Amino acid sequence: MEVDVLIVGGGPAGLSAALRLAQLQTAQGGEPLSIAVLEKAREAGAHSLSGAVLDPSALRELIPDFRERGAPIAADVHADHVYFLTEHAKFEFPIIPPPLRNHGNHIISLNQFVRWLAEQVEAHGIDFFSGFAAQDVLMEGTRILGVRTGDRGISRHGEQKPTFEPGVDITAKITIFCDGVRGNLTKELLRRLPLGADRAPQQFAVGLKELWDIPPGRVAAGTVIHTLGYPLAEEQFGGAFIYAMSDRHLSLGFVVGLDYSDPQFDPHMAFNRFKQHPFIAALLGDGQMVRYGAKALPEGGWNTIPRTYMDGGLIAGDAGGFLNSMRLKGIHLAMRTGMLAAEAAFDAIRANDTSAASLKRYQDKIDASPVRSELYPVRNVHQAFGHGLWAGLAFSGVSLLTGGWWPVELQGEAGHTRMHRLPPGRGSGAVNEPASNATSVDRRLTFDKLTNVHYSGTAHEEDQPSHLLVHTEVCSTICGPEYGHPCVRFCPANVYEIMREADGTPRLQINASNCVHCKTCDIMDPYAVITWVPPEGGGPQYNGM
Amino acid sequence: MILVVAEQREGRLNRATWEAIAAAQALSAEGVPVQVVVLGGTVATTAQEIAAAGVGDVIAVEHVSLATYTPDAFTTAMRQVVDKIAPTFVLLPHTYQTRDFAPMLAARMRKSLVTDVTGINGNGAAATFIRPMFQGKLAAEVRPQGEPPFLVSVQIGAYRADAVRKGNAAAVTSMSVVIDASAIRQQPDAPFQEARQAVDLSQADRIVSVGRGIKSQDNIAIAKNLATAMGAEIAASRPICDNGWLPMERQIGSSGQTVAPKLYVALGISGAIQHLVGMKGSRTIVAINKDADAPIFEVADYGIVGDLFEVVPAIVNELEKG
Repeated sequence: MEVDVLIVGGGPAGLSAALRLAQLQTAQGGEPLSIAVLEKAREAGAHSLSGAVLDPSALRELIPDFRERGAPIAADVHADHVYFLTEHAKFEFPIIPPPLRNHGNHIISLNQFVRWLAEQVEAHGIDFFSGFAAQDVLMEGTRILGVRTGDRGISRHGEQKPTFEPGVDITAKITIFCDGVRGNLTKELLRRLPLGADRAPQQFAVGLKELWDIPPGRVAAGTVIHTLGYPLAEEQFGGAFIYAMSDRHLSLGFVVGLDYSDPQFDPHMAFNRFKQHPFIAALLGDGQMVRYGAKALPEGGWNTIPRTYMDGGLIAGDAGGFLNSMRLKGIHLAMRTGMLAAEAAFDAIRANDTSAASLKRYQDKIDASPVRSELYPVRNVHQAFGHGLWAGLAFSGVSLLTGGWWPVELQGEAGHTRMHRLPPGRGSGAVNEPASNATSVDRRLTFDKLTNVHYSGTAHEEDQPSHLLVHTEVCSTICGPEYGHPCVRFCPANVYEIMREADGTPRLQINASNCVHCKTCDIMDPYAVITWVPPEGGGPQYNGM
Repeated sequence: MILVVAEQREGRLNRATWEAIAAAQALSAEGVPVQVVVLGGTVATTAQEIAAAGVGDVIAVEHVSLATYTPDAFTTAMRQVVDKIAPTFVLLPHTYQTRDFAPMLAARMRKSLVTDVTGINGNGAAATFIRPMFQGKLAAEVRPQGEPPFLVSVQIGAYRADAVRKGNAAAVTSMSVVIDASAIRQQPDAPFQEARQAVDLSQADRIVSVGRGIKSQDNIAIAKNLATAMGAEIAASRPICDNGWLPMERQIGSSGQTVAPKLYVALGISGAIQHLVGMKGSRTIVAINKDADAPIFEVADYGIVGDLFEVVPAIVNELEKG
């Protein structure tokens, strides 16, 4: 199949790019462009997970009458609170730090928002291919030709089943990569071209989220709460969010920097501990958890964004790391970079030059846009948190006063390299050793991962090869003594389990069909031997998330 | 009038047909008759089998194009049957075959289709139907809109085959249908070997299911002994099939089969929610597990907290005595 513009990934960035292309087409006329959007989820938005508080600035430009068009906005933000938690108490910040002021923003379900955005795109007659994941980038030298979708109908032993269908090559003049945080194709581009050569390494966090139905009267719709501190240690990056979508529906989540040092730490247990805090337990008591999900997020900021243009290719949204970790927001930046990528692609095709030199206009547009004016001043803030919570907070404060000026650029490092080895003799003890921050699980307030996974709606065809590739088998040899098999803990979906052979040798079991596509393993594995590739269909079903 | 669509293959009636008949009896108001239609190449035996139970008149629809199932032929035939009989409701067992052609039939006729129904409230025109949403997390109560007939498929195990009220043997009438063989777009191959061997656990009356507590592949024999002694099918929770200790087609749960046998014996199964959704409709659940806090005991009718390696051989012993 051949199109003019191929957009890989039907999230906020990809759909905004598609819509902007359609708008440019309508406004400027000329030979109509063929546009296609590939999305691995079976329905638009099914894999979209975020808090989420939406800064509507990009949306207002893309769809000025978004309210009339029925954009699904759960509530307008009317109150902000920021708390520092200790194990038993909470202290409210007397003033809300400016980046966390959300007046004028909206609480949304990103799943519903993306579904609505896809409807707007389809109304323009753009082909939205859901249920198709791009598996490989097609390249000729440094030029992007398009992508190849995955084969279907391969058994778990790698044989072709009667239902076998080979992947399809989709070629395009320009491919816009919007494959999200740690996108499998963008990762490949970074390695092959190399787009991140002179940039700081990307840094990530993982967010775990639940939707709760709670008795009314506890918190007003439109309330936004953020917490710092407990249950994380001072040197750990992270915190929690609670967004009241209505007075009965809470979006509740916990974000942990994927640069923690203790290999026996478990982000999911941190989330459980957070819910056991008296303040949170009181909020959720007699309520019911109705949905669960997890997703990594790019936190590194401006200095970690790779080169986003190449011969015949552009990168937008989370795939490029366009997220403001200080404001905890990325949807508007994903939308904005998608729109700018569309404009650059449109102009390049009209000028009949889709080389990197021509597509550099995308970077120029970013530099002249609110994306840069928002991200550049806070470019060192996340890196400052690498020195601990207090250093990070102090630096954020100074940053605000100086407009981001600092004598040197702070250097971050890839988070998995910060994981410490276990002291000799401590690792490889029991099978699936409990986390260092383990807490009780009552299946009412706190949950085991398997129960949580059920509430993510995750399902995959079972008879297919594992989509989590472990390139070098370290589990039976060095990982136990060195790190105590951290995969069983950092994965929020119980994908990784260590079993024992009869002679006691550890053996990795990959429950690939539990995978919620969060990408944490691809990021956090200390040996960097795990690669996430798209499975044949399936994945989470984030209704309302 | 309520029309039930029986399902047969090569003269063997699918047990789920009786469950659909039981649902039809629950749905039918006083004095509203139930009729059963059975389609195929030759259906005399299955039609007689149903007629003998006396649940209502049986309509036999035989046509050479119906000998092998194709969605086009069945849709064409069923449309003619429904047009002629003009029932208020058409009930189908929610089998793979129904899932294949019923949506097309409903779309052709522009009628409502309510799928995977687990319960019926009220009867006649006022009836509402319960069906699962979000993988069974929620149940929705729905009422079909528009003009009758309304199509309804009934979840396997939701109604009990042995609850069918039987009466005096009924009549079999045959009805002819016109099927243009050239308009059938599908040309089915012979069934795959996989499919021929596959066990349909939803048809089993008794199931012995094993979980991680069985510890090793060799110990599966212990569970198989119990299954043999009970006349039960063997099944498993996910880790067992992942390990290849039992074939994947014997997996129960959200990524395997959903079953509702009369008796379900869970050996060494902790009861993760993914497993429970696949078996919680079983009439009687017996759980044997060492861990008294295992969630399986929350759904079990009878629980034995103990070592399955001691308990199971003891049960087998007793059964063999009898």
